[in-house]
Amino acid sequence: MSMKEISALAMVVGSVVISIWVAMDLNGGGAAPDVSGAAWDMIWAIGYVVVINIIIVIIATIIVSIAQREEVKDERSDERDKLINGRAMGAAYFVLSVSILGVLFWQAFGLAPNLVPYALFGVSMLAGVAFAITQLVLYRVN
Amino acid sequence: MGKDKAKVTNTIRTLRFHAGEMTQAALAEKAGVTRQTIVAIEQGRYSPSLEVAFRIARAFGVPLEQVFQYTEE
Repeated sequence: MSMKEISALAMVVGSVVISIWVAMDLNGGGAAPDVSGAAWDMIWAIGYVVVINIIIVIIATIIVSIAQREEVKDERSDERDKLINGRAMGAAYFVLSVSILGVLFWQAFGLAPNLVPYALFGVSMLAGVAFAITQLVLYRVN
Repeated sequence: MGKDKAKVTNTIRTLRFHAGEMTQAALAEKAGVTRQTIVAIEQGRYSPSLEVAFRIARAFGVPLEQVFQYTEE
């Protein structure tokens, strides 16, 4: 497993964990009463995603290095990495476009304004997960 | 034309053996790509660009056709 695959895996795990945490918080009636409060909550949530991603990458790098008996190092991207990144970007862009359209329709049909930041957070997590999963799949088949 | 299944095959594993069991990492460095890319090329999962293909051939000191073959099934 390469460093790029570890980073993609961390992105998936980090996004899923924080998304579940946000969803559980929302389900428990924890939605902020106004748009500003909700937006700040989501900015913090994105900060947590970044922190948890870094922690997962560090732990996974140590585990994979021990398992492979070879230090996992980040290598400079080559043409295959760029090709895979391009395709993953395309998948993420598609998911982002469809999700944004979904949020707009949801808003048109009466989504409460204070929930919009949560929806935007969900959209960004979905696109990020689509990007990372596409990378993981393409690194296996390509 | 173009509807037949075509495949790019290669003899990198054999050439590495004849080059004194050259490691994938050493070949990757000579070709200017990552070791994972060499693994993917060797396993036939990825067809490199013409430039990388020439660099791989040059690393072994053989013509391109000796490294890569284009076969129509």
